[in-house]
Amino acid sequence: MATSILSVGQSALAAAQVGINTTGHNIANAATPGYNRQVIVQGAAQAQNFGFGFLGQGVDVSTIKRVYNEFLGNQVQSAQTTKSGLDSHYAQIRQINNLLADPTAGLSPALQEFFTGLQDVASNPTSIPARQSALSSAESLASRFQSMAGRLDEIGRSLNGQIQSSVADINTYGAQIAQLNDAIGKAQRASGQPPNDLLDQRDQLLMELNKHIKVTVVAQGSDYNVFIGNGQPLVVGVSTYTLTNVASATNPEKLEVAYRASNGSLVPLAESALSGGQLGGLLDFRSQSLEPAQNALGRVAIGLASSFNAQHQLGFDLGGAAGGAFFTTATPVVGENSNNTGSAALTASISNVNALTTSDYRLQFDGTNYTVTRLSDNTPTTFAAFPQTIDGVTLNLTAGAAAGDSFLIRPTVNGASGFGVAITDPAKIAAAAQTGAVGDNSNALLLGALQTANTLGNGTVSYQGAYSQFVSQVGNKTRELEVTSSAAGKLLTEATMSLQNESGVNLDEEAANLLRYQQAYQAAGKVMQIASELFDVLLSIGR
Amino acid sequence: MRISTQLMFETASNRMSDLQNRLQKTQEQIGSGRRILSPADDPVAATRALDITQSQSINSQYGVNRQYAKSTLGQVETTLAGVTSLMQDVKDTITAAGNGTLNDNQRGFMATELNGRLQQLLGLANSRDAAGNYLFSGFQSNTPAFVQTATGATYQGDQGLQRLQVDATRQMATSSPGSTVFQSGGQDVFATLTDLVNLLNTPGTAGLAAGLATANANMDSALDSVLTVRASVGANLQELDALDNVGEDRNLQYSKALSELQDLDYVQALTQLTQQQVTLEAAQKSFVKTSSLSLFNFM
Repeated sequence: MATSILSVGQSALAAAQVGINTTGHNIANAATPGYNRQVIVQGAAQAQNFGFGFLGQGVDVSTIKRVYNEFLGNQVQSAQTTKSGLDSHYAQIRQINNLLADPTAGLSPALQEFFTGLQDVASNPTSIPARQSALSSAESLASRFQSMAGRLDEIGRSLNGQIQSSVADINTYGAQIAQLNDAIGKAQRASGQPPNDLLDQRDQLLMELNKHIKVTVVAQGSDYNVFIGNGQPLVVGVSTYTLTNVASATNPEKLEVAYRASNGSLVPLAESALSGGQLGGLLDFRSQSLEPAQNALGRVAIGLASSFNAQHQLGFDLGGAAGGAFFTTATPVVGENSNNTGSAALTASISNVNALTTSDYRLQFDGTNYTVTRLSDNTPTTFAAFPQTIDGVTLNLTAGAAAGDSFLIRPTVNGASGFGVAITDPAKIAAAAQTGAVGDNSNALLLGALQTANTLGNGTVSYQGAYSQFVSQVGNKTRELEVTSSAAGKLLTEATMSLQNESGVNLDEEAANLLRYQQAYQAAGKVMQIASELFDVLLSIGR
Repeated sequence: MRISTQLMFETASNRMSDLQNRLQKTQEQIGSGRRILSPADDPVAATRALDITQSQSINSQYGVNRQYAKSTLGQVETTLAGVTSLMQDVKDTITAAGNGTLNDNQRGFMATELNGRLQQLLGLANSRDAAGNYLFSGFQSNTPAFVQTATGATYQGDQGLQRLQVDATRQMATSSPGSTVFQSGGQDVFATLTDLVNLLNTPGTAGLAAGLATANANMDSALDSVLTVRASVGANLQELDALDNVGEDRNLQYSKALSELQDLDYVQALTQLTQQQVTLEAAQKSFVKTSSLSLFNFM
């Protein structure tokens, strides 16, 4: 009997020790990211029948479990990936927003000064200083266009770098999750017990992964199988499928995300499949904010240059010669898909600036018909022969297209960077409407009137109006992201709070547990001491 | 309900950094005097401000154009005032020349005087503006309006009217072709004067009375066309003054609208700053108090 008492005391002592150890572990990891508190699960040991009844045999620690609610965990992951996506889009678009922040430094003042200079020419058509000053303000307008375009290009280039590093991070996290799948599987098979800290680490890695891209997880045994987009696997069991970057088939300056197919070829993933997280945010920013911004600014530049040139060429300069082009204009950028099998070459030119939109276009050949899709709203136009004019852009394709060939047409993307002043001689400003009339300012008046004429957007907006639309577009999108990102932040906080209230460590609670297990340990010691004294009584009998 | 200790710290620090961000923004607004720090703060107002700024810039440019117009019209008016008084002098001389007591010699003196007037008139008709452009040459502003010939003078300019954009919908002609001013209605003032000089240089009185009557009638008609031009110049100058007033009013409205859109309400902003400071301080104090509560302090 006495040995049984001793072993009961010892089991109690051991259980209290495990309790103190677990409490200490909780306290130690109170600030560890992704740590879920652990509790011991203990139960009465199998009792022994002594005829007079079942005699308790002490306590058994059956397992140590982590307090983790998978449902709440999934909610946090999903809120996190939404929030990270919005945050990364917001951080990027803020750069454009800040570029437009100072109203005295944007395009507007340069535009106004240019037309002011032009009005001065109208008032003093024979004055060379007035003409020179108009030319100088035209130069400063051009440099303003170019510097804004340069800044947008720079943002685009740094975007490529961020996409690469985000993809590298995703691959790293994928590999680590696969390793943990392996380690967890081994530990669980060997002991039959859950390796809590490894499980926490894997959930935390999943959280980090979700910060980069939205993933779906399918648990299979002890493994997490991780998928992105439309079911593209990233981790299956202990193996990983790495993502990589490829240049877009129609635009070599644009990086796309691709995976390596089983035959070894690189297959680009559709941007719509890569939503959420930092990577999704960067891709959203590129397609929804940066490219439209470049196009919108380009449209103002091309619209101004083309319509101004048209009027300028109707006039005559100080020497009586017919007016030439005042501004240089950019031409549309055509990207031939590198996978095209045909030999057809596409040329695009702007035939009507008034009809220009801020969208890009895709031309596709199905073997008989050609389809041009406006990418901003996916409006298709189908036809069978060239040349074809769509939204003010005239397309011409040489023979030799093969079915499946495609081209990307970006009419206004280079508008702002290609905007320049074509004349250097102030006498070349065509202020006169008739030749040999030096005092004639009629054409200068007509040029000046272009400032407020609705020459763009099918006769709905002026140059300034088109620029205002661009500013408003950026401002509204930034504001929208500011609001949605803050709302997503609230949602994430709520979800994290629910999860942490259940799984997080509360130090007061641990302090109480510490006291509890300390007392249990002391009590167990007392039981063992009494067992030992009982044994002493027996020994003293035989003495 | 149990609370995670870690989260308690995180929530408090997030809350404080949020408050600091807001405080920072208010400070930036106060520092710059601008309510809208970037288009995102108020996209509608920011865009509207851009449009109004352009309207204001165009409006002030029309003001500059009006100054040019006034200056040119002022020179035209001054020149034509000289022309008017010269023509009146000529008319006086014509009347005096009709006096029957004058002899050929005395008429010869008058002819010399009138020839001087002719040169003077040519000089006025070839007046230039401050930039050296001929006022009465139409678009041929580098070419003198008239050159003298044996029978009068030839107009070398054209019929071009230089117009200036003096308001959104108003283009005003600031020049009048010399041919309209000096040679309209079939009367050429230079020919009239030349004929008159020749008449007075002709000895004897045969045809003198008839010639003088013709000259007088022609000078009257020439004076009429000059006065007609002066009347229209005067009306234009008056219109410019009226447009200036409208332009200034408009400028004031634009400034007011811009200020309402962009400018910061300082009273409101400073009140907000104080509120935000108080809130942040309270958050800091309460965080220090609550975070120091721990059961470990009593063990």
